[in-house]
Amino acid sequence: MKNLRSIALLCVIVFSLVSFTKPVESTKYKCMIQMTNYTGEGAYIVISLLNPEGEYIETLNVIGDDDEWYNTIESWWSFYGKRRTDIDAITGATVSGGERTINVIEIDNDKLDKGYKLRFESAVEDQEYYESDVELELTSQSVKSKVEGSGFIRYIRMMPQ
Amino acid sequence: MTISIWRYSHLVLAIMSSLFILIASVTGAILAFEPISNQIQPYAIDGAEDVSLAQTLSVLQQEYDEVFTLEKDKNDFLIASVITKEGESETFYVHPITGEKLGDLIKKAPIFEFATNLHRSLFLKTTGRVLIGVVSFLLFVIAVTGIKLILKRQGGIKRFFSKVVKENFEQYYHVVIGKYALIPIVIITLTGVFLSLEKFDVLPDSKISHQYPEQEEVEQRLLLRDIPLFQNTRLKNVTHIEFPFSDDIEDYFTVKLNDKELLVNQYTGAIVSHQDISFVALASYWSLILHTGQGTIIWAIVLLLACVAIMFFMYSGFAMTLRRRKSTSKIKNIFKKDEAEYIILIGSETGNTFRSATLFYDALIDVGHSVFMATLNDYSTYDKAKYLVVFAATYGEGEAPISASNFVKLFQNVKQKQPLHYAVVGFGSLMYPEYCKYAIDVDAMFQNKTYFTEHLPLFKINNQSFEAFKSWITQWNAQTHHDLKIKFQKPQINLKKLKAFKVIHKSEPNIDDSFLVQLRPTKKVKFTSGDLLSLYPEVDFIERQYSIGKIEKDILLSIKKHEFGVCSNYFNNLKINEIVNAQVKHNLDFYFPKDAKEVVMIANGTGIAPFLGMINEQRTAIKTHLFWGGRTKDSLRMYETFIDAALYKKTLTSFKVAYSQEQKDKFYVQDLILNHQELISKVLKANGVVMICGSVAMQNRVLETIHTITLKQLNTPLSTFEANNQLKMDCY
Repeated sequence: MKNLRSIALLCVIVFSLVSFTKPVESTKYKCMIQMTNYTGEGAYIVISLLNPEGEYIETLNVIGDDDEWYNTIESWWSFYGKRRTDIDAITGATVSGGERTINVIEIDNDKLDKGYKLRFESAVEDQEYYESDVELELTSQSVKSKVEGSGFIRYIRMMPQ
Repeated sequence: MTISIWRYSHLVLAIMSSLFILIASVTGAILAFEPISNQIQPYAIDGAEDVSLAQTLSVLQQEYDEVFTLEKDKNDFLIASVITKEGESETFYVHPITGEKLGDLIKKAPIFEFATNLHRSLFLKTTGRVLIGVVSFLLFVIAVTGIKLILKRQGGIKRFFSKVVKENFEQYYHVVIGKYALIPIVIITLTGVFLSLEKFDVLPDSKISHQYPEQEEVEQRLLLRDIPLFQNTRLKNVTHIEFPFSDDIEDYFTVKLNDKELLVNQYTGAIVSHQDISFVALASYWSLILHTGQGTIIWAIVLLLACVAIMFFMYSGFAMTLRRRKSTSKIKNIFKKDEAEYIILIGSETGNTFRSATLFYDALIDVGHSVFMATLNDYSTYDKAKYLVVFAATYGEGEAPISASNFVKLFQNVKQKQPLHYAVVGFGSLMYPEYCKYAIDVDAMFQNKTYFTEHLPLFKINNQSFEAFKSWITQWNAQTHHDLKIKFQKPQINLKKLKAFKVIHKSEPNIDDSFLVQLRPTKKVKFTSGDLLSLYPEVDFIERQYSIGKIEKDILLSIKKHEFGVCSNYFNNLKINEIVNAQVKHNLDFYFPKDAKEVVMIANGTGIAPFLGMINEQRTAIKTHLFWGGRTKDSLRMYETFIDAALYKKTLTSFKVAYSQEQKDKFYVQDLILNHQELISKVLKANGVVMICGSVAMQNRVLETIHTITLKQLNTPLSTFEANNQLKMDCY
């Protein structure tokens, strides 16, 4: 009898937990990165999600598939390098000067308009590293906008898919 | 002098960069497999090159939610980057007509990843790239100096691809492979240098930037398949298409074609901007293709072979250098230069001449003479000397060999105090137009100085022939009243490899002490007329060779008995059915030609043996003429049956003979040839072949005669025909 009661209690707890953690909606965005006409090797670019405190939360996309060079993207490396989560699914080929690349990134809807930020970090072999080549606050407006870059990136454009 | 600079830089650069070149060539050889393995993937579609861009673009637009890019890679595989109907962002190989996915992108295999990294930067990032770029340039210089050396050796551009004289395995293949591999190597290194330069930002900017004009809003939107540019463009001209990012009129199609880049309005299809691809970009595209072999299996295989060739060059080059060091650094004189009675001066290029000189030196020392040996570059006065013997090789077009580069100058300045006897021995090869040219020059220089008396006439030795050297020693002994004995190096032979042959027939020595021996192999042995039979008599195990005439299944040898000849007496004492142990050595250079229309065979004495076999072979219409020189009519008798049989079978067209002793004036085979010069020039002109077998003395006379004939009748030196493989010789 005691058993039955505790099972019932457990059921209630489990149920309440499940019902309160309802799945968060997310949206896919098309994101185009247009590079400047720099010369040299292909650039490594990482798109990361930062919380309002400026801490790395999630890696959204990695452009550049040779992990030999990942440590040149310094700030991100200090976040990613420790854990080395699987990023195969969000990794693509490098882009060179003058080229553009389009990637699809997925962002939870609840990160919008809460002070979260999107950061584009870029580095080119034997050239500069830009910690925030592009950085934008995630708002319902900014995810459909065009933002100028300050380093190897000329601009980025985003669009909900 | 020039030659030594070329060789010196060829060698020094090779040593400096050897380790890096080794790494680059090994990894290069591995990487050559990458384009090969990619090419055999089934992603290239037949007939895709003529599909219009309009067709492919519209089918992609239908099949997928959104298309970002369409790209054609170096293997001609089409790659599309799309969002699928399921909403997934994917990049894969795509079919140009159906638009369906063919397969995921080929992931670079870890071995290629590793090799690429090592190949272009040695895992040292920028430092490594610089190193490899420099090494690539050095290898280019090595290749160029190598070409220069081959030109010198072969005697001019026209003879670049003609036959190479074989001195030893390393030398022969270093040159032979070099002739063919140098061109791809030059291409590899130049493109390699270019690709390195490209990484270092030293080339002019080749990036295209477009002007983006304001676009008017339009109502109508053309379908992709109706845009004229897309309709008129075939996939074969396309390299890359970027789709507009959004429906905004200021977002364009970027269309990269082989030679230009266009911006295309997505609504009207109008070309908004047009930029040609710069020369630098084109050069870098071709450098990449040529350097990596991407997209073509054949070129990738050429690159692979070139890498293997480089590895072989490293081995053979260093082996040759070590050998040369060894043979030239061992002048160890017992006597000082002013004590010695005999002076040996050497002009050697590759060290071979050095060995012959050393044999002569040892022979003189053995009988107690005082000898001093030096290179021609060390020419000086010799106070006690009576005899001066020069061993001189020739390099390239009659130039001085490396150890004689300074001799001409020295010779004018050094004055000998006492009269001297001199003898010059020239080493060279009849394969080159300037046979023993340098030795001839040196001989002439001595003749012009009054305090030198000729002891022996200039003696030329073809291809380091030992027999020829021995006959010079005989001349020396006679003239100097010496009894020098040259110690031959014992050849390494494996007696177990010898085959047994049974004596079928042996004729009695004729008036010239010549006789025929007919041998039948006891087991199956492959041989052809022109091959050599090697014997190793038990007395000294020194190899003796006889030219084979193949008569049905038997070996026919024609042998001249020498009074003390070990081998000829051995043969003469053979009885029927006795067993001879010997080895057949294939002599492909002296086979009867298969594709010539007409052949002239020239022989003297016992040199007729291989021809006796050849003229009795059944073959399709090749006219054959045999010229033979002998002493008397009696000399011919034992060959007559073979010649008559061939004339009867019509496998021999004509037979002409010269007897030296039958009339008052001596008449030799070269005189016979001069009488038939029209035939000789006709045969050579019609790409026919002249074959010569017999003594070296006869060969030289005959070659001189033919040279005069070709100059007079055809206005062409004999070396041209020689280079064209129209001369085949087997002389001793």
